[in-house]
Amino acid sequence: MEEKVLEILEEYCEEALDYTGDNMMEEGVIDSFTVINIVSELEDAFDIEIDAKYVVAENFRNKEAIIELVARLLDE
Amino acid sequence: MNTDFQRIVIIGYGKAAGEILKYTDDRRADYGYALEFIEHEPHALSVTRQICEERGIPFASMPDKRELGGYLGEIREKTLIVSASNNYLFPAALVEREHITIINFHNALLPDYPGRNAPSWVIYQGEERTGITWHYVTAGVDEGNIIIQKSCEIGPDTKAYELTERLMDLACEGFYECFDSVLQENAATRPQSFSPERRMYRSGEIPGNGFLDLTEEPEKLYRLLRSVDYGKSGIFPPLQTEAAGARAEVLRYRKIAPEKRKEETDMLYLPLADGNLLKIKYRML
Repeated sequence: MEEKVLEILEEYCEEALDYTGDNMMEEGVIDSFTVINIVSELEDAFDIEIDAKYVVAENFRNKEAIIELVARLLDE
Repeated sequence: MNTDFQRIVIIGYGKAAGEILKYTDDRRADYGYALEFIEHEPHALSVTRQICEERGIPFASMPDKRELGGYLGEIREKTLIVSASNNYLFPAALVEREHITIINFHNALLPDYPGRNAPSWVIYQGEERTGITWHYVTAGVDEGNIIIQKSCEIGPDTKAYELTERLMDLACEGFYECFDSVLQENAATRPQSFSPERRMYRSGEIPGNGFLDLTEEPEKLYRLLRSVDYGKSGIFPPLQTEAAGARAEVLRYRKIAPEKRKEETDMLYLPLADGNLLKIKYRML
């Protein structure tokens, strides 16, 4: 799963792979439009629904947070 | 550089509002105006508050229309209000005040597609070009004189959020170009000419009335799907359709090559004229 998430990040926001901080949105690594693309790709790749309540800066603060979000949704 | 404007108030959300806020702050040294930002529609991923905090720009969140109208009505000094991705309609009494000038960025080439959600309507109607308009705000919605316009193509696969992003970039470019002339009150403007067919798009309207009629051509369905696609922003409710004789809700869609087809439950595949398939995932209601 992790590998697939990283592949998607590489396609839409390569900088996210090297980012080591904890707020990609505020630091301008990722913007809201990129998040839309990533969410759409994740939903399709894992056949999950990412509800709007999860599309917040906290869940996109770094690549680990995104992986954690997907893992949580796959467990549901 | 000289201007009679003593104060600039920026109202809006999203990328364009953030970039315009930064630019206007950077130009403060040239003109000496006071600057502030008002958030009328809060967004989960908005970074305007953070920009304000970092730069020491006064920030206020005013989701209530009456509160916002009251606040703006109290302004006494000569003020430029910049409406950047903002859906608040300025009251006529405010617009008509001598010391208040309001400019607005509309995300279409006015006089075409006035009103709400223009990127959706241009995609739905199959337009090949659109753009942005900076105009002075008058009492009529999107009717004021045009200051500057910028245009772009709409690709065959462009989704509403992608077009919105492109239009926000154009809005910033246009703003940087006209900023000095607006502040110096010598912008070359032109009035809009309205055709009798001019139609105002209202906030409650949804392309295709929000229904994906599977008897329509797949190209038209693809346009409809792309036209309401703003990710999870909830601008429009999910499209509904009818599958196996019952009501269903569209979850997502994608254009794929035929070899990528995988049979899954609650999934439709429609052939597109370019040889690809339109994949639509739905859930029964």
